[in-house]
Amino acid sequence: MLRGLLVLVVLWSCGGRVAGAYEPRINYMLQCMGCHTPDGSGEPGRVPSVKETLVPFAGSPDGRRFLVQVPGAAQSTLSDAELAELLNWMIQNLSLTRSAGVPPFTAKEVASYRRTPLVAVQATRATLIRQLSGVSSQKP
Amino acid sequence: MIKATAWLRALLAALALTQGGAQAAPPPLPADPQGVVASLPATSPHWVWVNDFVFPHMPDGQALLVDGDSGRFLGMLSTGFGFSRVVLAKDGKMIFSPETYFSRGTRGTRTDVVTMYDPAHLAPVGEIVIPAKRSSNMPMMGDVELTDDGRFLLIYNFTPAQSVTVVDASSHKLVGEIETAGCALVYPTGARSFFSICADGSLLNVHLDGGGHATSQDRTGHLFDVAKDPVTEKGVRVGDTWLFVSYGGVMYPIQVAPDGGLTPGAKWPLLSAAEQAQQWRPGGLQQLAAHAGLNRLYSIMHRGGPQTHKDPGKEVWVYDLANHARIQRMAMKNDSGAIQVTHDSKPLLFSAFIESTTLDVYDATSGQYLRSVEHVGTTPTILVTP
Amino acid sequence: MRWLDSLAESSTRAVARHTSRRGFLGSLGALLLGGAGVLPLLPVARGAQPPGPGAGASPGAAKPDNSQDPTSCEYWRHCAIDGYLCGCCGGSQNTCPPGTEQSAVTWVGTCHNPADGRDYVVSYNDCCGKSTCGRCLCNRNERDTPLYAPFESNDYNWCSGSSKANIPYHCSTARIVAVAK
Repeated sequence: MLRGLLVLVVLWSCGGRVAGAYEPRINYMLQCMGCHTPDGSGEPGRVPSVKETLVPFAGSPDGRRFLVQVPGAAQSTLSDAELAELLNWMIQNLSLTRSAGVPPFTAKEVASYRRTPLVAVQATRATLIRQLSGVSSQKP
Repeated sequence: MIKATAWLRALLAALALTQGGAQAAPPPLPADPQGVVASLPATSPHWVWVNDFVFPHMPDGQALLVDGDSGRFLGMLSTGFGFSRVVLAKDGKMIFSPETYFSRGTRGTRTDVVTMYDPAHLAPVGEIVIPAKRSSNMPMMGDVELTDDGRFLLIYNFTPAQSVTVVDASSHKLVGEIETAGCALVYPTGARSFFSICADGSLLNVHLDGGGHATSQDRTGHLFDVAKDPVTEKGVRVGDTWLFVSYGGVMYPIQVAPDGGLTPGAKWPLLSAAEQAQQWRPGGLQQLAAHAGLNRLYSIMHRGGPQTHKDPGKEVWVYDLANHARIQRMAMKNDSGAIQVTHDSKPLLFSAFIESTTLDVYDATSGQYLRSVEHVGTTPTILVTP
Repeated sequence: MRWLDSLAESSTRAVARHTSRRGFLGSLGALLLGGAGVLPLLPVARGAQPPGPGAGASPGAAKPDNSQDPTSCEYWRHCAIDGYLCGCCGGSQNTCPPGTEQSAVTWVGTCHNPADGRDYVVSYNDCCGKSTCGRCLCNRNERDTPLYAPFESNDYNWCSGSSKANIPYHCSTARIVAVAK
C-alpha cells in the first residue's frame, strides 16, 4: 500500500496523470481551444494569443500567478493537477520561444494561486508585458 | 342574366327610396382623415412587453405590447438583430432598448446602440452608440438592467471577453466599459452597485461612482457548486434579496446590505423529498417571478430528468417568501416557459412559451385563468412589466 | 438518449422541445410550423440506413440506428449540438454552406461513436453570415452550464465570438478534432 502510494507521489511530481483524466492536449481542446484556437494564436483584437507570452510569463512569479489566475484557467473544470499538467503541455507545445529552464507547474503551486481570483485581468496582463523585456508587444 | 339582375337591383333600390323616411338608405360615410396615428394613454401597470428575438429571422427582433386587462394588442417596437429586451425607465418616461444592426441586414458593419423610445408613441426619439460587443445569447433579464435610481444603464458584453457597458440614462451618453472577466450578466443592488455571476460560483460585486465608473470590484467566496447543482441565471429580486434557483430546485438567496455588500442567505428547497423523487424541477427561459407586495415567489414546474432545467411546465408553484411554504399550485392552460407578474396590488401573472404565440393571463393572487391573447410575436422570449 | 425516449411519446413538435434542454436554439420546433401547420423539418434519413442493430428487423423491433447518419439528429457527433445541421443547409457536418463564414471561436465537447467505441473531441463551429437556415433543427446536450460558465454554455450565439463571423447565425457543424484520450 505504502509503496503504491510512493509510486503515485513520484508520478504526480513528475507530471504523471491522474488516472482517468484526459491527456493535456485533449484538455487544451476542451478547455481552451474554443477561444484560443488550436495553435494558441487566438484572434487579434478579441482573444489574446498565448504563444508569445507563455514562456516569458512562466519565467516570473507574477507571470506564473497570472497564468493560473486568468479566469479561463482558474475557472476551468480541471483539477489543480490537471491544470498544472495542461500549462506545462502548453509551454512545451504552443509557445514560440524555448522553454528550457522554465520550472514546470505543480498542483501545489497551482492551488496556491488559484485560491485568489483575479479581477483586473487586462491591466495585469498589460503590466506583465511591459515589465518583461524581449516580449513583442501584444494587444489583447 | 346580368341584365335581369341589374333590373332587379334597380327595382329594389327604387322601392327602398319610396319607403317611409325611417327606412331610407343612410347617408354616405364621410371620408376618414389622412395620416392619423394612434398614441397610447398613460402606462397601465397591467401592460406587458413580450420580447421576441424572432429566431427564424433574427435581424427582425421585436417587442410587443399587450394590455393584460383587455387583451388588446397595443403596438410594438422593431428592435434589430439578436434582440434581448426592453428596459423601462423608472419614471416611465422612456423605453431603453439595446440593439444590434448590420449595415446590410445580415452582413456588413455592425453597430450597437441603445435606442430610446417614447412610451406614448412607441417611436424612437434618439439613440446612444455603444461598443459593438453586446452579448448575443438566449434572452435574459440580466442582459441589461438599470441601477436602482434609474441613472445608469448596464449592458452585458461577450466577445468572448466579458465586460459591462455603462450608459448614463439621464444624459443619454456612453460612460464607459467595466471589465468583468470570468463573470456574466448584471444584477443591480443599489443606486451605484451591481453584481455579476462568475464561473466558479462566486459573485463579482461592482460599485460605481457618481459618474458611473467602477470604484471597486470584489469577488465573494464560492456560493454554490457549479459542477454539482448550479444556479440558473434567471434570478428575481424582492427588496434587498436576489433569489436564484438551482437546476435541482434549491433556492439560493443573496442578501444585499445597505452598503451594497453581498451575503448568501440560507438555502431552502422548492421541492419536498417526495417531489424530488418524482423529478419535479423548475424549468423554462424565465422560470421565476416574484411579487414584493404579496411576498410571493412563482416558479414554473415540470417533471423531468437532471438536464431538463429549460423545459417548460404546465404548473406554476407559488411560495410564501415569509416562511418558504408552497401555498398554491397553479395549473397552466398551456405550456409555460416564461412568467412575469405585474407589480401593483392586484397583480396579473403572464405566461408565454417560445414555441407558441399565445400569451396567457392569470390572476396572480387567486391563480385563476383570465384570458389569452393570440398571435403575439413569433418566438416570444422574456416578459417585462412596468 | 432523451431524444430517442421522447420519440416514442409524442409528436415531433414535442420531441423538438424535449431535446432542447439547453440552448440558444432550444425549444424552437414550432418556429418551423408557422401558420400552415407544416411539421418541423427534423432530420430523418430513411433511405441509406447502414447495416446495424435494427436494420431489416421486423416491425415493432428495436428502433433504427441513426447514429451513423450525418443528417440525423441522432448522429453520434451531434450528442451536444444545438442548432440547425449544416448538412441540411448546403454544407456538411464539417463544412459550412456556400457563402457563410465559419466561426473560429466556439465551444468544444466530447461524443461517443458506437461504431468504433471511441470518444471523440467534437468542435461545434457555427457557420455565420446569413439568416438562420431553418432546416434540421437538432438540440441535444449532455452537459449544459448557464451563461456565466461559457465553456459549456450553449446559450451563446457563438457566431458573435470572432471578428470575421460576427454576423448572424446560420447553422452548426460538428467537427472531429481528435480522439479523446
